[in-house]
Amino acid sequence: MRNPLRIAGLGMATVLAVACGVSATAQEITGGATTTARPMTRIPNVSQAALTNAAKDKNNWLHSNGSYEQTRFYAGDQINVNNVAALAPAFVFQTAVLESMETAPIVVDGVMFLTTSFNHVYAIDAATGEEYWHYKHKLGPIVTVCCGNNNRGVAIEGGRLFMGTIDAKLVALDAKTGKLVWETQIADPEKGYSETMAPTVIDGKVLIGTNGGEYGVRGFVKAFSAADGKLLWTFYTIPEKGQEGVWAVNDATGRDMHRDIAAEKAALAKDGGGFYQTLGGGVWMTPAIDTKTRTVFFVVGNPSPDLYGAIRPGDNLYTDSMVAIDLDTGAYKWHSQYIAHDVWDLDAVSPPILTQARDASGKMVDVVIHGGKTGHVYVHDRATGKVIRFSEPMVPQENMWVLPTKDGARMLPGANGGVEWSPMAVNPRLRMAYAANLHQPMTYHVEASPYPGGKLWLGGAFKTIPGEEQSGRLVAVNLDTGKVAWSVKTPQPLIGGVLATSTDLVFNGEANGWFKAFHAQDGKELWKYYLGAGVNAPPVTYRVGNTQYVAVAAGGNNQIDSKRGNSVFVFKLIGGEKLVAPEKKVQH
Amino acid sequence: MYDLPMLKFLSTVCATFALVVVQPAWAQADAAGAKLAEQCVGCHGPGGNSQNPAYPVLAGQSWRYIYVQLKDFKEGRRGHPDMSPVAAGLSRDDMIALGNYFAAIKPVPIAFKADSARVEAGRKISDAVLCPMCHLGGFVGQNEIPKVAGQHAQYIRKQLLDFRAKRRTNDAGNMTSVAGTLSDEDIENLTQYIANL
Repeated sequence: MRNPLRIAGLGMATVLAVACGVSATAQEITGGATTTARPMTRIPNVSQAALTNAAKDKNNWLHSNGSYEQTRFYAGDQINVNNVAALAPAFVFQTAVLESMETAPIVVDGVMFLTTSFNHVYAIDAATGEEYWHYKHKLGPIVTVCCGNNNRGVAIEGGRLFMGTIDAKLVALDAKTGKLVWETQIADPEKGYSETMAPTVIDGKVLIGTNGGEYGVRGFVKAFSAADGKLLWTFYTIPEKGQEGVWAVNDATGRDMHRDIAAEKAALAKDGGGFYQTLGGGVWMTPAIDTKTRTVFFVVGNPSPDLYGAIRPGDNLYTDSMVAIDLDTGAYKWHSQYIAHDVWDLDAVSPPILTQARDASGKMVDVVIHGGKTGHVYVHDRATGKVIRFSEPMVPQENMWVLPTKDGARMLPGANGGVEWSPMAVNPRLRMAYAANLHQPMTYHVEASPYPGGKLWLGGAFKTIPGEEQSGRLVAVNLDTGKVAWSVKTPQPLIGGVLATSTDLVFNGEANGWFKAFHAQDGKELWKYYLGAGVNAPPVTYRVGNTQYVAVAAGGNNQIDSKRGNSVFVFKLIGGEKLVAPEKKVQH
Repeated sequence: MYDLPMLKFLSTVCATFALVVVQPAWAQADAAGAKLAEQCVGCHGPGGNSQNPAYPVLAGQSWRYIYVQLKDFKEGRRGHPDMSPVAAGLSRDDMIALGNYFAAIKPVPIAFKADSARVEAGRKISDAVLCPMCHLGGFVGQNEIPKVAGQHAQYIRKQLLDFRAKRRTNDAGNMTSVAGTLSDEDIENLTQYIANL
């Protein structure tokens, strides 16, 4: 029994404040305040040219996925396969938020900008970890997120940072001070809209999609003015007319999806297509941009409700699709659907990557690729969207496409994939894409359910199967053949993302706390370090002065419930620099 | 000063407390919640700390969950002989005020004697059916997904049974589907695991 007399003075005030309702606003987020630990002497200023050429930049990591092409391929070469064993922590930065970390920090001229769950942003010295400022977004009263209060990072242009928030806002911050410049409401969080992706910004336009496919939203990608937050254009991922598409029998790999198309057509004729407003189609991850053709590429998530398809007859375009639109107007260019009328939530989440691959005739062409929850890497012709090839399955597939039942139908992959939101990386010289996969055997259960008005709307359930082993698999896929070049099994499912370097390294984190480097050619493990919490965030790399750093967040993950933490670990070569450049050994 | 009647057990300390705190603008809304909550004490206990295991603890519950449930009672998606008529008379602002009021109150821990084997078995079921994906680790809840940690075992058990039997169906098909394949034994184990958190 608790004795109130034993509560100390300050504690008592807190208890009373709580009991008296004084704490109505004293939640995890206490206000929109920015704290400054040490003033930033540099003034961040990122030009459009720097953003456009980021893939070649050896000093900075300017985009959450490295560049507009999103290859996550670093051009620098200090850390290589011969010296990576000497990688050790330069510093550990601890945030004030102990919750799921999915952030991909960006680094500009020696300053790192990182985010946490609940939309905190930190600016720190990227070589020492010292804090410049800490911004806490003042969350509105209503937040609706299906899979954790995550954030995956910021975008920068000029001296401004841009972040989407879990209460469905877009905020612009002064990169030097962390002060709010403007904020704009993107959509209504009470209907299930929220933002966890890092936006992307180009030519004064901030592009951002939306979460909400588990709530019956109508998905979109929107462009806002970087100057003042005004809406420039909207592309809805669910068209008002024509979502029924071509009544596809097979998926993109040619397998029968077992649709009852006659029944679907009858339902559409009888009840009409008004459900387009609640058909889902979230866009979870940052779009890629082809700056030459001024085209935006993104993948669209599952239809709502996830498992119950009878009330949404049709292909449910553009759910589960790769979509290309015009950067300047948001006008549709093409789409390519992986799964029509999805009832498994095996949708498209991992961000698209622009690279090159050989077409069927052996000619090297511009492609856009995507790692699917299905376990395939899909290679599309970038101009038309046509699927040039899809890879061998990276994880076990079984019983595809058995329809969900009330008591549950077993099918592999489980509903998390395959490849979840985790960004892939590409090594263009080796012709390989690297993908972090999950293997979670599940049963798929359906339950009829009408639109519930902004509540989580799965229309059934996914359940893992007790006693069946779960695991992860880091897989290298040859882009020109679709063959699996190598793979490494991990004890837990992989969520987080991959980094590749010009020196044939691949970095990847695991839910059990290990962060590892592999040889990009054959998957040989070259280095590992234990971070003490789930490493479920995309690694990044950059250089300050003569030193290359590798950074990754270790905050655990809500979706696979790995151990939570609050830190970003930053590594550099300790005593191993001489293996690269003995004549230029840097003093630390 | 709080000039509206507060819950009896809090009135003295809060009045004292208020003397040293400048009353902020939103205190009126809180006072409205407290006033509305007077009608809840009979079943849900003082401040939503229910002492009757048939009625859920509301103290410390997510305000959104309380708001959404009240809305469902009012609009007929959830039914209960006592709650439905109560909710029928509430406005949207009333429901939000009630949600905020209960969310801000510290829950009083409930003594629960669990069977350790059942707790372990329940933990495994929770992992298998992916409870933490929505309810978060430790069943602390989020937004419109309820906190279940600190709840009465009897109430948890009844909700799982009601979902399974589809006596409660305002869950958008999620909980009815999750509970649909649970055996009586599973439900007991899951209940003990959650009640023991």
